[in-house]
Amino acid sequence: MFVSSYRVSKFAFQNFWRNFWLSIITVSMLLLTLITINILLVMNVVTDRAISLVEDRVEVSVYFYNYTEDTTLSSAVAYLRGLSQVRNVETVSAQEAYEQFVVRHGDDEQIMSSLEELGENPFGPSLIVKAHTVEDFEVIINALDNPQFRDAIREKDFSDYQSIVERIRATSDRVRTFGVALAVVFLLIAILIVFNTVRMGIFIHREEIAIMRLVGASNWFIKAPFLLEMIFLSLIAVGITMVMVYPVVAFLEPQMSVYFGAESSGLVAYFTENGLLIFGGEFLALVLVTLFSTGLAMRKYLKV
Amino acid sequence: MIRFKNVSKIYPPNVVGVEGVSLHVKPGEFVSIVGKSGTGKSTLAKLLFAEERPSRGKIEIGGWDITHISDRDISLLRRQIGVVFQDFKLLPKKTVYENVAFALQVAGERPRRIREVVPKVLEIVNLSNKSDRYPKQLSGGEQQRVAIGRALVHSPKILIADEPTGNLDTLNSREIMDLLTKINEFGTTVALVTHDRDMVNRIKRRVITLEEGKIVSDVEEGRYKL
Repeated sequence: MFVSSYRVSKFAFQNFWRNFWLSIITVSMLLLTLITINILLVMNVVTDRAISLVEDRVEVSVYFYNYTEDTTLSSAVAYLRGLSQVRNVETVSAQEAYEQFVVRHGDDEQIMSSLEELGENPFGPSLIVKAHTVEDFEVIINALDNPQFRDAIREKDFSDYQSIVERIRATSDRVRTFGVALAVVFLLIAILIVFNTVRMGIFIHREEIAIMRLVGASNWFIKAPFLLEMIFLSLIAVGITMVMVYPVVAFLEPQMSVYFGAESSGLVAYFTENGLLIFGGEFLALVLVTLFSTGLAMRKYLKV
Repeated sequence: MIRFKNVSKIYPPNVVGVEGVSLHVKPGEFVSIVGKSGTGKSTLAKLLFAEERPSRGKIEIGGWDITHISDRDISLLRRQIGVVFQDFKLLPKKTVYENVAFALQVAGERPRRIREVVPKVLEIVNLSNKSDRYPKQLSGGEQQRVAIGRALVHSPKILIADEPTGNLDTLNSREIMDLLTKINEFGTTVALVTHDRDMVNRIKRRVITLEEGKIVSDVEEGRYKL
């Protein structure tokens, strides 16, 4: 068995070298398919990260009148914390609001003198409410209409994060659809090229195959080199993809800091943590596809 | 050793290869199957090594019914039957040694056994001194001897030679016939398919004559009469 496996491997490598350019074309096509799939993966990671960063910033600032009593404020906080849509509620007291204002506008004499003229703290307490997702936004806004504290609220301030997220999603969905279509096209071309490579291999080795059959080679022994050659080509394609992907994402990550600020896009971490799963999965999928195509070609052209 | 019972091979749509052939070849026998072109000699040979399946009848090789032999078992059958053709069917990029060894390699034999067997076989076919040559560096007779050597490496019980002298001159043909006779004397059953009158008459062995796919004569120590 070991001896036969060795000879099958030897024949497979001979096939590879004898059809060198055909092998290169096959690997290139498999590589293009894999690159497209990995670009889709990168896009997925970046989009998810962008959406999660935006969602992280989803918050509603609720300003209360400065006469609002602490009990009203506490009941509002308790009520909001009880909502499953609320991730966190931060309280800013009237005094803290005043201090923050002073810190922010301390250099502006005009503003500071106006504040002094008022003679008392004009700021009321406020709540900063954070939601889990942008979809929770509407529920929280509606919840603030609770008659228990509705009349104590002076102003509700929020940005339209939902439309931002929707825009990100819509754009990424469009690009993703295009990417998937491109990957499918590349995959179909790869299947055809693998089919043709095997057909050429069978044609080139037709004499050898006829003699193999004549002298009692088993069907497995005749077919296995073609299957092994395609597994080998798939391995080369995945190997080259790996070698290309890591430096590219390492290069892209700092470039994306323009959009993500201090936060990381998480690309390198994603490919490092899931590398085995990603490239192992891609290799297995590629092997299945190439074996399917090889099987078709052998069935049609290799009469054993 | 070889038994045909009322075997017919009909090619679509209705072309007769052989029809109603019954014969029995005993172990160690040397039988020549003769006839004009297109009389079914090669079809008979192909039925023997399962290149073709019979349309009707039953074929047994060494007690093994190969009438409906599976694809899987064909390789096992062919390791027990050596086959030689008119066009030698050698691999041009392999040396004499490698061509002979190839039959053992594809059958999964160990390198050690290959190193033992191949030189012995090359000695039998008298090519020990040309083991490093490529087929194109050999004469037709020598190439046919390589093919016979390759057919012998599995120590087959039956050797089928389909027009082995068809591409050779008289001198080389005689050498090949002498070699086949020698192999037969070692105990291998030989089935020779030929239309070479001189060779058949020279060896004076059993002759089966085919005409239009049917056996018209089967004579011990016969002659080519057509």
